Amino acid sequence: MILRYIDGPEVRFTVKDKIFVDMEFYHTGEVFRDMELRRMFPVSGKNKYIAVVDGEGNEQAMIRDVDNLDKYSREAVLSCLEEYYMMPRILKFVNMSDKFKIWMWTAETDKGTVTFEIRNHLTAVKPLYDNRVLIKDANDNRYEIPDYTKLDKKSRKMLIPNL
Amino acid sequence: MKLMSNIPIDDKYLNSAKEILGEDNILFAVVGDLEMKGSYGSSAMVFGRDALVAFDNSYENGCIRIEYENVIRAKVKRMYGNAMFRVKDTDGKWHNVIRFSYAAADIGDAAAIFVENVRDEGYSDSLLDVVKSTYEKMRCFCPKCGRKLQSPDSPCINCQGKSKMFSKLIQYIAPQKWNLLLCIVLSAFTTGLSLVPTYITSVLVDDILPSGSMKRLVQVVVFLAVLYIVQYTVTGVRQYRLRLASDSIITGLKKDIFAKAQYLPMKFYDKSSTGSVINRINSDTATVQGFIMKISQEAIVQFFTMVGIIVIMFSLNWQLALLALCPIPIVVFIARRFGKIVAPKYRRLWRRSSSISTMLTDSIPGIRVIKAFSNEKSVINKFNRYCDEWKKEDCQTGLYAAIFPTLITFFVTCGSLLIWGVGGSWTISGEFGVSAGILVSFITYATQFYNPVNFFANLGDSYENAVASIEKILDIIDAEPEQDFGDFKSEEPLQGKIEFRNVNFSFDRSKKVLSNINLTIEPGDTVGIVGTTGSGKSTLINLIMRYYDDYEGEIFVDGKNIRDIDMAYFRSQIGFVQQEPLMFRDTVYKNIAYGCGDVHVEEVLHAAQIANAHTFISKMPDAYDTVLGERGVGLSGGEKQRVSIARAVLKNPGILIFDEATAAVDSETEFLIQGAIERLIRGRTTIMIAHRLSTLRKANKIVVVDKGEIIECGPPEELMKKKGKYYKLVQIQSMSEQLLKEKQSENFE
Repeated sequence: MILRYIDGPEVRFTVKDKIFVDMEFYHTGEVFRDMELRRMFPVSGKNKYIAVVDGEGNEQAMIRDVDNLDKYSREAVLSCLEEYYMMPRILKFVNMSDKFKIWMWTAETDKGTVTFEIRNHLTAVKPLYDNRVLIKDANDNRYEIPDYTKLDKKSRKMLIPNL
Repeated sequence: MKLMSNIPIDDKYLNSAKEILGEDNILFAVVGDLEMKGSYGSSAMVFGRDALVAFDNSYENGCIRIEYENVIRAKVKRMYGNAMFRVKDTDGKWHNVIRFSYAAADIGDAAAIFVENVRDEGYSDSLLDVVKSTYEKMRCFCPKCGRKLQSPDSPCINCQGKSKMFSKLIQYIAPQKWNLLLCIVLSAFTTGLSLVPTYITSVLVDDILPSGSMKRLVQVVVFLAVLYIVQYTVTGVRQYRLRLASDSIITGLKKDIFAKAQYLPMKFYDKSSTGSVINRINSDTATVQGFIMKISQEAIVQFFTMVGIIVIMFSLNWQLALLALCPIPIVVFIARRFGKIVAPKYRRLWRRSSSISTMLTDSIPGIRVIKAFSNEKSVINKFNRYCDEWKKEDCQTGLYAAIFPTLITFFVTCGSLLIWGVGGSWTISGEFGVSAGILVSFITYATQFYNPVNFFANLGDSYENAVASIEKILDIIDAEPEQDFGDFKSEEPLQGKIEFRNVNFSFDRSKKVLSNINLTIEPGDTVGIVGTTGSGKSTLINLIMRYYDDYEGEIFVDGKNIRDIDMAYFRSQIGFVQQEPLMFRDTVYKNIAYGCGDVHVEEVLHAAQIANAHTFISKMPDAYDTVLGERGVGLSGGEKQRVSIARAVLKNPGILIFDEATAAVDSETEFLIQGAIERLIRGRTTIMIAHRLSTLRKANKIVVVDKGEIIECGPPEELMKKKGKYYKLVQIQSMSEQLLKEKQSENFE
């Protein structure tokens, strides 16, 4: 199947229900209802290449860059993505304790304070090349540190040995 | 009675639910950790016999009651890093009920199944079983240490052995205790001998030289010569014994890590790279070996040396001895500080080194692909980058490892300066009875004394390096092995009745791979499992093979829960032929007889004949003695497949599983393999996964799997009449086969 790319404001996205959108092509009048949005590069290129899929998971279109959409559609798409993708940004580590090789980390995030369990910090903590750090807890929830060098000194001291 | 709940439910929710549903009606609760708007907070669902109450700040009164009879569908919508419990009402409209992280996703799934079952059948206690088994799985904690267990019966690895890191190493050192003890005694002896020349120096300076006695001088020289011969002979013997002990210790450790690695569950390998496992067996054990030797030998020797010198120094002159001890507090302080700084650096260094190993284990076996894509430069660049990162980390660690010991040595040297300066002035003034001889031997003793001081001060470096390695080794040694607590065994082969009851499974919580699987396969059935790629067919097989044991629900074979059957016996009863059979670097004969201990040659030949492998093997120059290259290099795909079928024949299993056995071979080879399979499956329960539906012509039952669920199940004729998914798949394949035939006939003409 040939990918149908969306390059610019030829489409209007309207939020239906948190993670669902309607997609309407102005020039053809086609309307796709109850579509979902999936980032093709949720880790590396967050707002580029967003697939629009139907309830069966079939891809109907691909947004090249969310920034190229009109304001209304862009806001709709971003709000849906924000709902679907939950990767809290860690702002600060409050505590890291370990008991019997199970680490309990408490962190302040942009979504509130959370305590999570890390089973194996070698596989759970992934430093990327641009100082970003991705963390996956024992329940497979994900967290992100946008730039670990910008954390406060105490947090850095707790985190760095695990990188 | 305590309410079943994934985490304790807030009293305000519980009390409110009691009011709404009635106290006697409440069955269980699912507590969420997210608010509907996506931030961390609290939410909950309390389930009753005929309705549920959901609590979230987004609801007008803080809660909402949902009757099961008004629910057409209930499901957990898994998103990225979070999930939503959703219900579809009778108007076909979906409603988001509560939101939670993946921590509550499994119990949410069980709750959704419960809601749908109650809606269909009305409430009965048995419907709670799905929920109960999920709760049980979530609550498997060791009562002693609190560590999470895989199942309620599994012993806690942490409590089984000694928890202290180094005490675990003792078990490897213990068998060599006599050897090590002998080495320590020999060390003490040589250390004692090494202190004698210094003492003789003071006698030489104070007595022999002033007396001018040549005879005594010769006596002293001869004595020293004998002393050195004895000292170095004993040192040689000691070093040899030490090498023996050290090799035995580390061989034991390597063997144990490898053996443990064999019994680790597939989940461990899903998450750990093979490179990092190899790194632990090879390089980490070498680091630990070095450290064990340092601790068990050098440290003891250095300790004796230090004590011996202190005793001699105090016996010679206590004032000078105190002077020599002055730098010790500073040295201890610096050493402690160094340990704290350098420990995390060694952990980071381990990561970098592990990345290099992983890269090697990835790229060297994949050299054909690298060459095929002319990707050598890119691979080299990536490897160089990893090496540079390792170098950077090692240099940083090295900087600390260089600065701190230098500082320590500096302060130690300052101690010598004190003896030179203050001790020298005492010799000149004649104070405290410090003669020239005593001063000279004191200076030599001080130098000898600072060696052990330096050693202990710098031990931190090796210690932290070893701790980083031991941690990684214990990651394997302490890892939870496959659950094998069943003891059922039988002399008789399994009959082959397989039952899946309410089985749910996910590799990680982000995506459910199998949902509510209920399936019965009778003994002797030939069952074809069909479905699109990624539908969950192979996962179904993985669960039967017990590669993954942490599923919800139960799987029975011949009426026994497979978790209660002895693992080795169970797997010996299953013949598994995979799409890409793995061959080992060994002869064809041994590859067929793999896993079968004492097997007669003719049985192997017979198995090869049944598998249609004998003909091509006998045509090879070395026939059954042909040594295959790594991963079966030297055989074609179809040949490897037939060797793998011969393996299964030799095993004579009660259950046979074929996972896309003919997917990667041409039609002619498929025909040969098919013939082999048909001979093999007679009278055995057989499960076949196949994309080519023609492979399944012997199947008396077809199971259609789609998106992790069984959507059709029954005899092929019935499914064809139903005109469902199976019918569509058959139609599509017939059309493509027809097109292929037409194309072939066109080319032929």
